[in-house]
Amino acid sequence: MPFISQIERQTDYSLFAPTRPIVIDNGGSYFRIGWAGESDPRVIFRNIVQRPRHKSTGETVSVVGDHNTALLKYFDCTRSGPRSAFDNNVVFQFEIMEYILDFGFDRLGVDSLGVDHPVLITECPCNPVPSRCRMAELLFESYGVPSVAFGVDAAFSYTYNQRLGNCDKEGLAVCSGFNTSHVIPMPERNLPFVLFVEGEPVFEACCRTNVGGYHVTDYMKQLLSLKYPQHMAKLTWEKVEDLKMEHCYIAQDYAAEVKLYQNETKEAEEKTRCWQLPFTPPPVEEQPSVEEIARKAAIKERQGQRLREMAEAKRASRINELENELRGLEFLLRQVEKVDENDIPAFLSDTGYVSKQEIESSIAKVNQSLRKAKREQVELDEKADVTTADKFPLVDVPDNMLTSEQVVVFRWCYMVVMNHEWKELKEKKKQIFLKTTAEGRQRARQKRAEEELLREKQNQLEEERRLENPELYLDQLRTKYKELSEKVDQKKRLKTNGNNSNGNNTSGGVGRGERMSAAKKERMRLLTTAAFDRGKGEDTFGARDEDWQLYKLMSKDNDDEDEGPDEDETELTRISSRLQAS
Amino acid sequence: MEREVVEAELVLPTHLNFKKLQMYEKYPKGQSRGRHWKHLKQIIQAENFQNYPPDEPNYVNIESPPSMHPPKRICDITGYEAPYYDPRTNMRYANAEVFKLIRSLPNDYVQRYLALRNAAVVLK
Repeated sequence: MPFISQIERQTDYSLFAPTRPIVIDNGGSYFRIGWAGESDPRVIFRNIVQRPRHKSTGETVSVVGDHNTALLKYFDCTRSGPRSAFDNNVVFQFEIMEYILDFGFDRLGVDSLGVDHPVLITECPCNPVPSRCRMAELLFESYGVPSVAFGVDAAFSYTYNQRLGNCDKEGLAVCSGFNTSHVIPMPERNLPFVLFVEGEPVFEACCRTNVGGYHVTDYMKQLLSLKYPQHMAKLTWEKVEDLKMEHCYIAQDYAAEVKLYQNETKEAEEKTRCWQLPFTPPPVEEQPSVEEIARKAAIKERQGQRLREMAEAKRASRINELENELRGLEFLLRQVEKVDENDIPAFLSDTGYVSKQEIESSIAKVNQSLRKAKREQVELDEKADVTTADKFPLVDVPDNMLTSEQVVVFRWCYMVVMNHEWKELKEKKKQIFLKTTAEGRQRARQKRAEEELLREKQNQLEEERRLENPELYLDQLRTKYKELSEKVDQKKRLKTNGNNSNGNNTSGGVGRGERMSAAKKERMRLLTTAAFDRGKGEDTFGARDEDWQLYKLMSKDNDDEDEGPDEDETELTRISSRLQAS
Repeated sequence: MEREVVEAELVLPTHLNFKKLQMYEKYPKGQSRGRHWKHLKQIIQAENFQNYPPDEPNYVNIESPPSMHPPKRICDITGYEAPYYDPRTNMRYANAEVFKLIRSLPNDYVQRYLALRNAAVVLK
């Protein structure tokens, strides 16, 4: 059963005699205020204060207790959550306490200057003296209360139940509070028929455990949020508190009760509650009507058409402009041809051109850009052509039956026909390109054939010589082979091994010098000098142009190692093959 | 201020006729300025309860000592009696299904479940 606060303002305050005490049950979770002698409190609310900021005016206001949460939409509650004056059942924040007392007295209907009734207020057992002091101070100074009595709620409850005959003179009061629980033994000797007792229960034997309803709710909240992490935001503390109040119960024997659920008995099924979080369906977006869709499509179409027209107009104007320029230039050229050679500079002085050649080059330029502009159009037309061929066989459809879009496409087709000649021009260009490449290929083939012929001739010549005098021929070949092989060897040595020219490096130890070629070595030397030679004396690097050659030497591309087999080597292989053959 | 808010008397008025000393007189600089209160711990410390005679009840010595009873072994997930204990996660479980669930839980969830019974690993 969720708790419902009563905060209606009472109107019968003035009917009570000034001797009638006001009773306040100042509990950790609920604040109850009423009149002595009545069975129920008049005003009940949650013992919390919120200090949100009003959204439109920006002032900080105090809101005490529970209110209609719908009204809190006018306030910015992000910076202050609900606050309690209590810390483990002891009041410690007296400003909050004052707001709560303000609200309580206000709702009780106090309208005189000062609260002129004695006040009984509850506190926890063995309340620390400073807390009690400040509470008394607050009541006396701010509210002008004539007298204050403090009491322990559990003792009052016990006395009340004793009067009703629910319990004996001797007993044990177990007070399970919001933050703490107390066990207070009630011995026989005391408890006279007066409400205002203090210290009558045996506080020497009293016991406090810092576990209360708050912890139960918190535990349940944690369990729920662990089990349903997706609903973490919706499981607020208040919601869980309501859940606990509505659905939870205390088992007489936990182990036996749990067994019921574990064995899935019928009793457990009856006790199981299903509960749904408040569900707010997401706002359904209204489907736009058919007219709306049509209207939007029409607008889009119109915009697209306008853009196309604009682009077309722009292109046309550019072509027009270029053609005009071309005409002007040609005219100028003709004029210039008529004029005498010596008078040309004078004639051209106010046209901005200096010579005939310049005019010609600008004509060429204009021609080029004109071609470009026109080609763009051609390409576009081609595209349009493709689409028309694919999608719109419309040529047979009469004009008045076409929609606007189709009309546009139709016009494109029309333009394609008009621009056919440009397409021809393009075709010609393509053919020229093809022709030149074919010619190039032809030339290369011819050259190769000639080389082949030359080699054949050489071979024939050698063959003849061999047949004439085989001995001499072989000798010649051998000497040639020796020469060539020596040459190639030397080259190799130079490449792999800079200064080691004697070639008897057979030790196998390959040092740094052996690994690097002369060019590489030179490069390393240059690099090291460049790295360490800076700042010595005056820096005159770059004064002469030759200085910059340094970088060319330094760069890696300078190495010409991977050049492929050179002429000597090919000759050598040829000769060796011949030697073997003969 | 909106009409419905005023009608519901949601906001506590700053001036109340029955008060001898108004809130704004007490805290002229606004309530949030400075701390006018002590925490319960500070109150207890200032009170020097250790100097009080031990046979007189006070706020500190009525507190119950920690329980000496052996704790009941309760499954961390279902709340059933838990005869088993998972050495890897330190969680108690009731049956094989729960064990499967425990092993599939990510570590931070395990720690949060353990924190519910003050058994989580606390890094300091």
